[in-house]
Amino acid sequence: MLKNAILTLLSLAIAIGLGGYSVWYALNAQDGVGAIRIGQWTAFPEVGTLAADPYSKARVAREGVLALGQAEGLAFVAERDDAGEPLKRECAYTIEGGYPTARFWTLYAADQSLGVIDTGKPRQSALQSYEVLRRPDNSVVISVGSRPAPGNWLLTGGSGKMYFVLTFYDTPIASSTGLSDVTLPRILKAGCNA
Amino acid sequence: MRSLLHALILGLLGAGIVHIAVLFLVPEFSERDAWSRLAMASDLYKMTRLDAEAGGAPVVKSVDPLFYAAACRFDLADGLVRIRAPGDVPFWSASVYDRNGHNIYSFNDHNANGEKLDAVVLTPAQMIDVRRDLPEDLQGAIFVEAPIEEGIFVVRAFVPDESWKPIVSRFLEQSACELQDY
Repeated sequence: MLKNAILTLLSLAIAIGLGGYSVWYALNAQDGVGAIRIGQWTAFPEVGTLAADPYSKARVAREGVLALGQAEGLAFVAERDDAGEPLKRECAYTIEGGYPTARFWTLYAADQSLGVIDTGKPRQSALQSYEVLRRPDNSVVISVGSRPAPGNWLLTGGSGKMYFVLTFYDTPIASSTGLSDVTLPRILKAGCNA
Repeated sequence: MRSLLHALILGLLGAGIVHIAVLFLVPEFSERDAWSRLAMASDLYKMTRLDAEAGGAPVVKSVDPLFYAAACRFDLADGLVRIRAPGDVPFWSASVYDRNGHNIYSFNDHNANGEKLDAVVLTPAQMIDVRRDLPEDLQGAIFVEAPIEEGIFVVRAFVPDESWKPIVSRFLEQSACELQDY
């Protein structure tokens, strides 16, 4: 009798403990189902729509996000450079290449919660496409770092993990058919303040 | 020994069931979703700034730093809701979300009449009523048919640089979210 009770308790403990933990784990993992990867950039075009999978629906409810709609824009997040190393706030990077069709785009350096990095300086760690300098072939080279750089400079600072968030507004690539032949700029490491 | 194995297998099966059950219950019971956060910040039919600019922590996270945003909650069971904003900003976009924060419909200034934001959100049943006799002043509005009752309307506006901040702030502060009689 006692043995049966203990075995029942064991089953229940495994069921509830493992079941609950696995949901918590899955919701905290950064990637998920439905991601689109282009180079090091990841986007979730379906997050926040009714067509999303149950995991991203749960994540939307838990984090209280209001995702951009298709007519608004599409955000790409990068957490690694082109060599596959995680982005760090103490390092300098060069982001170079062409951008797909959009009315305009914004780029900012983000912390773990994907909020903009607070550098404590009046200059924001964000750039947008109307203010950048372009090369003759319409590509853009952006220097990212804590020290001023000629050309386009995205200010960062501090230490720890960093993400780049690149958002295209009013763009045809937000409809899934346009995503097949899109190329996004490359992220190259320029050096680190060890 | 066999009964222990039996209990372990039952436990794993149960874990699978609990996993699925919890996953589907999270959206139902979340108290941190966008609706609940907005409800703590303000009433129905009241435009609330989502960005940190208006003071305090941002109400809903992950707003582009080069954007200002405002949102209002509505309940279509009370009637149609009309959202208007005057003025010229470089870019604005708007989205209608349901109670659980799913994006139902979105549009931007290029879809609008004269680039002014004037939208009416209503249920398909209300749409039939309104179509029968369209009031004069609603003729330029964008009609968003949404099969929902409670929902959130969000307006986002682009701030290209420092000098646009007051203009974009004014755009959002003058935006109105009100029940519409028809």
